[in-house]
Amino acid sequence: MPRILPLFTKGLADSWRSTLAWALGLSAACMLYLPLFPSIGGTQMEDMINALPPEMTKALNYDQIASGPGYTQATMFGLLGFLLMSMASVGWGAAAVGGDEESGLLELTLAHSVTRVQVVLERALAILVRIALLSVLVFLLVLGLNGPSQLGIDVGHLAGAVLLFAALALLSGTAALCAGALSGRKVYGIAAGAAVAVLGYVFNAVGRQSPDVEWLLNLSPYHWAYGNSPVANGADWGAAIGLYGISLALIGLGAVALQRRDVGV
Amino acid sequence: MTQAIVVEGLRKKFGAREVLHGLDFAVEPGTVFGVIGPNGAGKTTIMRCLLDIIRPSAGSISVLGQDPRQAGTALRRRIGYLPGELHLEDRTTGRRILEHFAAISGPVEPRHVDGLAERLNLDLDRQTRKLSKGNKQKLGLLQAFMHKPELLVLDEPTSGLDPLVQQVFHTMVREAVDEGATVFLSSHVLSEVQQAADAVAILRDGEIVTVATVEALRTAAVRQLRFSSTGAEPHDVGALLARVPGVANVAVRELKADGHAAGTVEVTATLSGLVQPLIQELSRLNLTDLVLEEPDLEDAVLTLYAGQSPGTGQAAGNGDTSGRRAEGAHRA
Repeated sequence: MPRILPLFTKGLADSWRSTLAWALGLSAACMLYLPLFPSIGGTQMEDMINALPPEMTKALNYDQIASGPGYTQATMFGLLGFLLMSMASVGWGAAAVGGDEESGLLELTLAHSVTRVQVVLERALAILVRIALLSVLVFLLVLGLNGPSQLGIDVGHLAGAVLLFAALALLSGTAALCAGALSGRKVYGIAAGAAVAVLGYVFNAVGRQSPDVEWLLNLSPYHWAYGNSPVANGADWGAAIGLYGISLALIGLGAVALQRRDVGV
Repeated sequence: MTQAIVVEGLRKKFGAREVLHGLDFAVEPGTVFGVIGPNGAGKTTIMRCLLDIIRPSAGSISVLGQDPRQAGTALRRRIGYLPGELHLEDRTTGRRILEHFAAISGPVEPRHVDGLAERLNLDLDRQTRKLSKGNKQKLGLLQAFMHKPELLVLDEPTSGLDPLVQQVFHTMVREAVDEGATVFLSSHVLSEVQQAADAVAILRDGEIVTVATVEALRTAAVRQLRFSSTGAEPHDVGALLARVPGVANVAVRELKADGHAAGTVEVTATLSGLVQPLIQELSRLNLTDLVLEEPDLEDAVLTLYAGQSPGTGQAAGNGDTSGRRAEGAHRA
């Protein structure tokens, strides 16, 4: 009885532990950050921000932190949530093909009745679904805390921000998957995925400092997604389409690369 | 019926290093074909090429009448593969692993899986990380056999198995062949191939030294010969042996000590080749003792390995088809 999408379902089933762990981490981040807003927000926060060097507030995206949406954008989506999601996604992406090949497991899988393109696509889909699950969780948590924590976030803007939040994670994950599929090595996958996430963040932080280095912002997926502060102002749909499009292209590139080379050598 | 595997001019390079130098061989359907050779000879590389895990640099491969590169999933469903270096997931059970592969390559009769597990004495519900090497190997065999493939490609199948389980494995191979399957297996131990295989290819440094039946190998193998006779001069005995093809290392000793009849000689020699001509010559003598040892195929193969260039192997002398094919490999 051939099952439908056997590699996809296995990919999901095998990772429930790690998915649960990342879900707990993201929940903890939401629960710790957001309820603090009423006690430190407003003028008190503004005074504190004004006391910081302006370069630092720009680097941390704290310039709008006095408002509820700005606070949520900077702390949850821009910092800790971004970090956790990127780590989860890069780990899954690097393990999906490169890690599987390196550990010797992929050889036996490919000896069975699957195509290599199918392996890459089903496993990428499993990553996408996990990212979607975690993103929906974050959406629900922020939505639940919106009233009690007096954040004043527009639900539509929140949905758009979560979509971009997921897109950023997917981008570093698919970069990791693609590099793993190209090289057959997990470490290259992790390096590529981490580079996308970290450089994106750094280019944003540095690019915001002065007009001389503003061009760096154009190279930062982080800035594409968050440049207009989507929790406050709504998503830049062009950026969303662009980010998902690049992720799809990276998956396709990974599939073609794996299709064309020797495995396990 | 077409041949189960046809390999022609197979070359494989990894970077600048060529590890297979133009192999030619064919495997008849419904037979067991063994490849033996030391580690690094290229056995695993051949098998990975058959499964399209790696791609040949040159040459052609036909598996069950199809090119593995083009045939895709339908072909691999007809093949059972045991990798030489078997890696299994740690945090799961044997049953879960088999269910996953069955979902991909099925259909598989659950009862068949349980039956095989029972015969191999393997507990499918144990965590795989707690399995010994031998038990992991059993799991590897199970996933190769469970969907009753038409072709089994088994890389060092008995590695890590204790002798009793090896016997079970040989029975499983025989049963598969009886049901029409073809088996392609490798080993660096000849005795194992000798037991299972109908034909044997000897691989050395990426070239096939010879392809032969086990019988032909046996003929090529060197046997130790020892006999005693009475009533003949040592010189005559030596001359008689010189007429027998394949006899060498003759040492004739006249026994004059007490207790031996006059004119007793004791002879030791080696024989490679057919036995019959020797027996015919020996029948002229008055033998008091004769020992012709079982040929050591291990020695035979080592002799072939030691040959300075591939193609010096004399094993395939019986004019069988596989022998002719071996000549094709000499061009490499």
